[in-house]
Amino acid sequence: MKRGERALAVALVAPALVVLAAVTLFPVLRVLLLSLERRVPVFGIEEFVGLRHYRFLAGDPVFWHAAGVTVTFTVLSVALEVALGVAAALALHRLGRWRAVALGLVLLPWCLPGVVTARIWEWLYQPHVGLLSRVAGGVNWLGDPATALPALVVADVWRTSPFVALLALARLGTIPPALYEAAAVDGAGRSAVFRRVTLPLLAPVLLVAALFRTLDALRAFDLIFVLTGGGPAGATETLTIHAYRSLFGTLQLGFGSAVAVIVFALVTAAAWGYLRAVEGREAAS
Amino acid sequence: MLAACGGARAPDDAVRLVLRHSRMVGDPDPLPPLLRQFERLHPGVRVASEPLPWTADVQHQFYVINLEGRSPGFDVLMLDVIWVPEFARAGWLLDLSERWRAADRATHAPATVEAATLGGRVWAVPWVMNVGLLYYRSDLLAAHGLAPPRTYEELAAQARRVTGAGPGRGLDGFLWQGRQYEGLVVNILESFWAAGTDLLGPGGRVLPDMARARDALAFRRELLAAGVSPAMVLGADEEQTRRAFGRGGAVFLRNWPYARELFEAAGSAVRGRVGIAPLPGGGALGGAHLAVSRASRHPDLAWRLVEFLAAPPAQQAIAAATGLHPTRPALVDPALREIFAGARPRPVTPWYQTLSATLQPELSAAVAGVKSPARALADAERRLEYFLPGPR
Repeated sequence: MKRGERALAVALVAPALVVLAAVTLFPVLRVLLLSLERRVPVFGIEEFVGLRHYRFLAGDPVFWHAAGVTVTFTVLSVALEVALGVAAALALHRLGRWRAVALGLVLLPWCLPGVVTARIWEWLYQPHVGLLSRVAGGVNWLGDPATALPALVVADVWRTSPFVALLALARLGTIPPALYEAAAVDGAGRSAVFRRVTLPLLAPVLLVAALFRTLDALRAFDLIFVLTGGGPAGATETLTIHAYRSLFGTLQLGFGSAVAVIVFALVTAAAWGYLRAVEGREAAS
Repeated sequence: MLAACGGARAPDDAVRLVLRHSRMVGDPDPLPPLLRQFERLHPGVRVASEPLPWTADVQHQFYVINLEGRSPGFDVLMLDVIWVPEFARAGWLLDLSERWRAADRATHAPATVEAATLGGRVWAVPWVMNVGLLYYRSDLLAAHGLAPPRTYEELAAQARRVTGAGPGRGLDGFLWQGRQYEGLVVNILESFWAAGTDLLGPGGRVLPDMARARDALAFRRELLAAGVSPAMVLGADEEQTRRAFGRGGAVFLRNWPYARELFEAAGSAVRGRVGIAPLPGGGALGGAHLAVSRASRHPDLAWRLVEFLAAPPAQQAIAAATGLHPTRPALVDPALREIFAGARPRPVTPWYQTLSATLQPELSAAVAGVKSPARALADAERRLEYFLPGPR
């Protein structure tokens, strides 16, 4: 590239970079700096404490509990979403005439705003009155510390499996029929075809879908906030709910920011892990 | 210009005061007539009343955002009693110590004044009052020849006896508020008081008597484990327990005074069969205060509005229309007077929000049996020692 072209390129990209820096880089750095302070604005408390919040959190059972809840919620919901999404995609792929209609119906939960979804499930879980409580003989799903987290996972899976299904379905449509014919000639049964042909070809798409879903699940908020608010007995208190309560409930801006930074680090690490996996696949193929 | 827009509009030179308050569900709404009366007494003053959002958390957030911005747009604020020290410490409230006469102060329930005092100064005037109390089924206790309990242990023993045999057989024993929210903190605090301890000790020490606090919390857990309190208590707030007791489903209930009217209403299943008694260690103080924003441009008039709204006639008008109780025991129904006089404020500290928010999940875990009471309190203590600077 000639020097003049290079300068032009920089000039053209600059506005976008400035906007990006303003809306992403600046807040991230700001939160990072805040997390090194003890700051309670309403009382005029502003004090640099270095890594003290992080050292406190490292030995804090409440924080580790929230971290555990976050990971459990993420692993369970992403695993179920991928499994159900693939199943739905396979079923849709085999449908003929009604595929468009069925696809629309499957996608419906994904189109609803999170808070609307949460309200619907709140009704379903309502003790004694809600459908899901009544079928189970009056179980108080959201009120029992043992069932609250699984109940949240179910609601999240309902909402986001369609996303996985959509991506998987698109990939299924591009697999050449010749591959299946060849497999049939070789005498492969249905399960062998699925394991040896369909799944390996789906895998890259599923990795991407799982990446998106993991990032969302790690910072899930709306559903949990509306349905349980982190209760009962702290059983559904994820790191994001914890950060929210520290930030807005008690106005401990520095401490809450430290928790938010940890969520950020967790999300970044997960993204990095998935990208490595995707790259590994591409290098192998 | 403005005056030309509408005939009834205030003249341009009128002073406009803004009162921020949470909605009072009353029939008729008692506030507008009171404000018009104030305007007649103070010609040239117009009072606008602006309701707050519905829930306490959102109200708190509203106040914090607007007051921190230094241009609140209101002169007089209705405050939940637990916010007064926080807002005073933040510098948002006018010091009322000089304006509020000692003679009038002495007519209010002591707990209400204590709750508005920080650093020896008073920051708000009590407006409406709430206090936790014990409801019991007088018919069922009488059937066993029992007098209302004086301790929580006695309460549990009576509950077992009444639900074990006779007309109360199979009923729930003791209903209280065990959901993970502010109400749970209130219930546990009342148990702490009965056990002779508190959340904050002298000098602001967190959980000054760990052993007593642990035993009091363990006692609540035991009520649930032994079935004296049903499992629904774990997810219950005031209304859920009020309805269950109102259906005739339980012997004892801890609740606020508003439930009394509903129990005695026509068609109530427990009408004429409900007695009231003070809670063993005293009931927690609830209710609201009135304060003047330090950013108000008319502090003297704003104070006069506070004085007017908190005066006996206004408190009585509000009580008649809404069932919200006056803060002066002399104005309260004689049957409730002793209970109101024995009210105790929750810890009067600017850090109350932090205190409560930190405790809620821990207390909830303990009463649900997910964590041992000792462990839950230790975890809460560790965090509170970290969050709250000494002296508190």
